[in-house]
Amino acid sequence: MKLSKKVVLLGHFGVGKTSLFRRFMDNEFSEEYKVTLGVQIKKKVISLPSGKELSMVVWDIEGHSDSVKDTRKSYLLGSHAFIYVFDLTREETYITLNKDIEYLNENYIKTPIKVIGNKLDLVNEKEIKSHLTEQNIPYDCLTSAKTNKNVQDFFSDLAKEITS
Amino acid sequence: MEKHQNNQLSFNPQVQVIHLSIDNMILKTDKNLFSWQENTSIFDAHPFFELLIGFTERTDDDEVINFPCIHLEDTSNARICDITFTLKKEETVVVIFDYTKKYKELNQIAQKKNESILLAKELELRNKYLLEKEEFKNSFITNLNHEIRTPLTSILGFIEVLEKTKLTFEQEELARIIKRESHHLNAIIDDMIDLSKIESGKLKIVEERFSFHKLIEGFNESYTQVAKDKQLTFKINLESTIQEYIIGDRTRVYQILNNILTNAFKFTEEGEITLSISKNYQRTNKLSLNFKVEDTGIGILEENLPYVFERFARFNRDKQIPGTGLGLAITKNLVELLHGEIKVTSIPENGTVFNIKLPFKFDVVKATPERKKKKYKLPERKNKFRILVVEDEEVTQYLIMKILISHGNFFVDVAINGEEAIKCIERRKYDLILMDLKISKMDGFQTTHVIRNSYGDKFISELPIIGFSGKTNDNIRDKCIRSGMDDFIAKPFEQEELIYKITKQISKKEATH
Repeated sequence: MKLSKKVVLLGHFGVGKTSLFRRFMDNEFSEEYKVTLGVQIKKKVISLPSGKELSMVVWDIEGHSDSVKDTRKSYLLGSHAFIYVFDLTREETYITLNKDIEYLNENYIKTPIKVIGNKLDLVNEKEIKSHLTEQNIPYDCLTSAKTNKNVQDFFSDLAKEITS
Repeated sequence: MEKHQNNQLSFNPQVQVIHLSIDNMILKTDKNLFSWQENTSIFDAHPFFELLIGFTERTDDDEVINFPCIHLEDTSNARICDITFTLKKEETVVVIFDYTKKYKELNQIAQKKNESILLAKELELRNKYLLEKEEFKNSFITNLNHEIRTPLTSILGFIEVLEKTKLTFEQEELARIIKRESHHLNAIIDDMIDLSKIESGKLKIVEERFSFHKLIEGFNESYTQVAKDKQLTFKINLESTIQEYIIGDRTRVYQILNNILTNAFKFTEEGEITLSISKNYQRTNKLSLNFKVEDTGIGILEENLPYVFERFARFNRDKQIPGTGLGLAITKNLVELLHGEIKVTSIPENGTVFNIKLPFKFDVVKATPERKKKKYKLPERKNKFRILVVEDEEVTQYLIMKILISHGNFFVDVAINGEEAIKCIERRKYDLILMDLKISKMDGFQTTHVIRNSYGDKFISELPIIGFSGKTNDNIRDKCIRSGMDDFIAKPFEQEELIYKITKQISKKEATH
């Protein structure tokens, strides 16, 4: 039987979770913003270096307004990884990041958390430095769902990590 | 399906019930929503159900878990459902409630809400970008101003020097044209700086007591001559009850009236131009004045009137009529800064009328007259006065030398930077230093600081210093005085002003010793 792992995309609304989801699943992108209500779920089979296959089931959850605590608890049940996405162009989407991560770490002890700064195509290095480094915002990867920059690599690395 | 109860929508969903074996095979289902087949794995139905892999441990007590708003789809269906798992010891019961219609309505509301928040953010960012752009533009204009004023100072200065030499009639005429065009270029820079200051909110309005009658008399003197040259009539009607001394921003009032009058003369070829000033009202120490400038010029077409005060608005195609198209835009901005009003009416081929209302204050107690510009004379001396010019640009060095040497009372030495200036004053006695603010090694302020604070010899530490620069913002003179200089002169300077300031400082120094 294939390995099956549940991965949940979290973060404020409008940060590009659905765009990352669509880019990873179907290699598609749309400029149009469509709000996500509830959850949409898709899976993708990833071949691992070991020769095994992983069925990565990705839950694209509706974005929260204030804190990750607002997310319905049942959506997070049985997760193998959380991907916390923020928008590099909107400070309000990462201003609560440290508190949100702390909350997830305390309540989902065994679940690894990855942090993604999305919309990399809209910022330059200087802005990244002033926005993230100076404000001490931790992140694992910077992506652009629009240009596909770092998206596939990120999910491949995540697949390896949650199966190792 | 919906029922309206207490103004709230309620929905009766369609339901599908699925019984699953402990290894997640479909045992039984009613297929009300999805036609998933019995004896197949629920995992093949939709990846959502792969979640069940994690619920292997069962107890005697049933465990119920709810998942609201799940998007489910199969080959023929796409629904948004609430799903309940009842985890029993021997089986799992899955109940799917179809709330697609309800959720689609909610989706529209959420879409609007989120879009409006994102739009507000986008507008905020756009606004920030525009402000940054505006700031860049203003600093660019300020720097450009400095870069243009320096060579312009030299051009204007050398023309004055040139005019004093023996010239043929043709050369005199060419020099006059160069002078006129240079003054015009200088006026354009002034306009650009003013507009950029107004738009960036940096233009400060000052309240000072000044002779209003004298200001108007000044217009009478200058424009009567212009009118004479153009064979026009110029009249001023000043209401006699208007106070001689009033309180307001003299410079800006002058600028407003001068712009309107210049415009009137520019576009009038025959007839007359009238400036009428009357009281609008007077209460306690407050005064409102009406200024009316009427001309019999070419007028403005009705369709152009709404755009008269816009930047670069030029409706006349005649290139012989000079102008930047900034004058009236500046005027309107200045009037508004002074909390006044400006209106224009016009009849093409007949003339234009500008009406301006401006508020002022006045002293209720009897006013004292303005102080006149004091006259200074160079002290009597056998030898000439020695001036040190600290300036790194050759053209400006040469210009100042020309002006001072041709005056006949001065020797001039030149230092090209702050360090060299210090060496010069240690070697030789000077009567005054003309100090460019932007020089290398040490700038004008630092060099002044060293001179004022490092020498016990008062002849050095109290040497009169006049700073000069092409930068002409409001604070530069104050900054010079605060740093220990005695005065400041802005580029481009007139010969007369330069000599006046040098004479003033030397005679003041002489008087204190």
